[in-house]
Amino acid sequence: MTGRGRILVAMSGGVDSSLAAVLLRDGGWDVIGATMKTFCYQETPSHGRTCCGLDGILDARRVADRLDIPHYVFDVEEAFTRDVIDDFVEEYAEGRTPNPCVRCNSQTKFGDLLQRARALGCEGIATGHYVRIAREVPGHPALLRGRDRDKDQAYFLWGLDRSVLPLLHFPLGELTKAQVRERARELSLETADKPESQEICFVPTGDYRDLLRRRLPDRHPALTPGPIVTTAGEVIGEHEGYASFTVGQRKGLGGGFAEPRYVIEIRPESREVVVGTREELARARFSVHDLNWLAEPPSPGDRVEAQVRHRAPALGARVLAIEVNRVDIELDQPRHAVTPGQSCALFRGERLLGGGRIRLAQ
Amino acid sequence: MKRIYLDHTAATPLRPEVREAMEPWLHGVRGNPSGVHRSAREARRALEEARARTAAALGRAPEEIRFVRGGTEANNLALLGWAEAVGSPPGLARIHLSGVEHSSVRETAETMARRGVELAPLPIAPNGEAQLEEEPGAASSRPELVCLMAVSHETGTVHDLAGLAPAVRARGAQLHVDGVQAQDLLREVSTLADTLALSAHKLGGPRSLGVLVVRAGREPAPLLFGGGQEGGLRPGTEDVAGAVGAAVAVEWAVSPEGNREARRLGVLRDRLEGAITDRFPFVRVLGREGRRSPRILALGVPGVERDLLPRALDLEGVEASAGAACRSGSLEPSPGLSAYFGLELARSIAPLRLSLGWTTTAEEVEEAILRIGAVLERITALAAPAGMNGGSVR
Repeated sequence: MTGRGRILVAMSGGVDSSLAAVLLRDGGWDVIGATMKTFCYQETPSHGRTCCGLDGILDARRVADRLDIPHYVFDVEEAFTRDVIDDFVEEYAEGRTPNPCVRCNSQTKFGDLLQRARALGCEGIATGHYVRIAREVPGHPALLRGRDRDKDQAYFLWGLDRSVLPLLHFPLGELTKAQVRERARELSLETADKPESQEICFVPTGDYRDLLRRRLPDRHPALTPGPIVTTAGEVIGEHEGYASFTVGQRKGLGGGFAEPRYVIEIRPESREVVVGTREELARARFSVHDLNWLAEPPSPGDRVEAQVRHRAPALGARVLAIEVNRVDIELDQPRHAVTPGQSCALFRGERLLGGGRIRLAQ
Repeated sequence: MKRIYLDHTAATPLRPEVREAMEPWLHGVRGNPSGVHRSAREARRALEEARARTAAALGRAPEEIRFVRGGTEANNLALLGWAEAVGSPPGLARIHLSGVEHSSVRETAETMARRGVELAPLPIAPNGEAQLEEEPGAASSRPELVCLMAVSHETGTVHDLAGLAPAVRARGAQLHVDGVQAQDLLREVSTLADTLALSAHKLGGPRSLGVLVVRAGREPAPLLFGGGQEGGLRPGTEDVAGAVGAAVAVEWAVSPEGNREARRLGVLRDRLEGAITDRFPFVRVLGREGRRSPRILALGVPGVERDLLPRALDLEGVEASAGAACRSGSLEPSPGLSAYFGLELARSIAPLRLSLGWTTTAEEVEEAILRIGAVLERITALAAPAGMNGGSVR
């Protein structure tokens, strides 16, 4: 038995979570590795299961064997489908562009998996996220951005239940990706040079519309042709279904315009995709719904920094109004990439205050 | 922390007398039983002696004992080979299949169904009684195979083969019995089955060996070709050491010591069951409705994720499983538990199978009671908001 108690490390099979497990073990924790089986897109009764993510599971198991730590696979498919995939489909059906990783973190990883960790007698759960936890104020840990600003993943964690913060450990938060790879190579971890995962894990074909076609009813409006209109209301073409579009998108609108056209708005009720110029796309005011706070919520008039895309800079902003489930934000400078459905994470300096999902202001 | 192994239904250690008997056949160059020289003759003699001893222990003729490579192969061969042997056109042959069969029977039958064999359900009650549907007009003119395992690997439920056998005969059907978990009932089961699958390693024998007991005149057709070994049923150079080990393991199982061992395990199992259910009255014991194997304690814990208990116990040094080892990691409720108790109940519980074997001691059982108690205490406390503490649940 070691001094620091038992901890569960969510291992995806990638280099980050592998090294996180090593660091915790070396730090005196009794480390348990766990991999979630989140979905299964091919299943036939005679051939057992062929799963996407199976490679990840096998890699994670190999690393765990190397470290001589127990490793368990937890099948969370049912909950993941309900909380992440169904939500993803619903958002596209409503003409918005979701962040499934946010849902997975808040509902599945730091929800279902954390529950299992506690049932296994673990004092906490750790992942390979590039974020930090500051525990200066007893009982009120703060979630901070990762030291490696290029890799920082705080944006994806705004949905966590505040009560779980004391149970979280992020051993990579002080490291850069380069340092992580170097340490992994020194340790000859099998996963040291594994490429970054980029795709949405449950969209193995790389085209999310395949998933929508499978999961939405036939002839759903989101997948049915509709008009492309200008902000003035002029019909200038037809599209194959508004689920193919994201606000801010430039591709797929056809050519022949005097200046580049962008998707400004998607109107599911009329299946209209509204296009306009770059100036028309820019937006300073928007609303954030489905709020969650990891710190004391700001008040109207407070200055915050808003991040509206992964890897996008934090933008100076002001809170206009705040309600139980809605906060209105005004950016100091209008911005082009304010996309309904995407997350808006609110920060004060390094500290993640909370966030929600973007809706356009009325 | 000393580890406590309570997963003997999945695999049990080699018995010392088995190891000793196998030893001479594991080392050095020994002949292939099919050869003509002295080493070959010695190997053949050992193999045939193993066959005769296995037959005697099971109350069958030596020609009825076929050594194969394991229980799964024995089941596959019995089903696929039966269809091949009766040679009827697709749509005519029928398999009556209980819903609680091991996957090596169930998936084989399902594969055959895709090739045109008809599947008919063989309803089974939680007390182990099976009901073969009666067809007006007595004996069926179609080739029919009835599959019912002797003892459930999930609950330890002993199935009423004696009650089923007359109905099978009356239809003119054939009875295949998966006897892999029938360690303590081998003779009883062996007289009833037309084909009987056994696995040596569940008896403390070697992992490499299975036995298919075949009633004369009911031989399945071979699935592999290339040598006439095992009466033409299973070609390939024989595993002499395995056969010798299997014979010793089967002999031991039916011996007076074997009977005493079964009683000893029954006492330990009852102690384990009593201690857990006294403290956690909401834990359901599965398979208590009828006769049960003394080696298996199958529990159903309500309100807990189905994949959690064996892992939580592993961390406390108690090795057990949620049910069939082959299904570990799957969140679907087991088809076997659904067949006994209905889908709703199977969905509502996390199964935990604690299985005892020849290395299990009373001290281990006492220690296991403490560790299992600690895990159930923790898990039920966490699940408390869902309303599952105390004896109030279902």
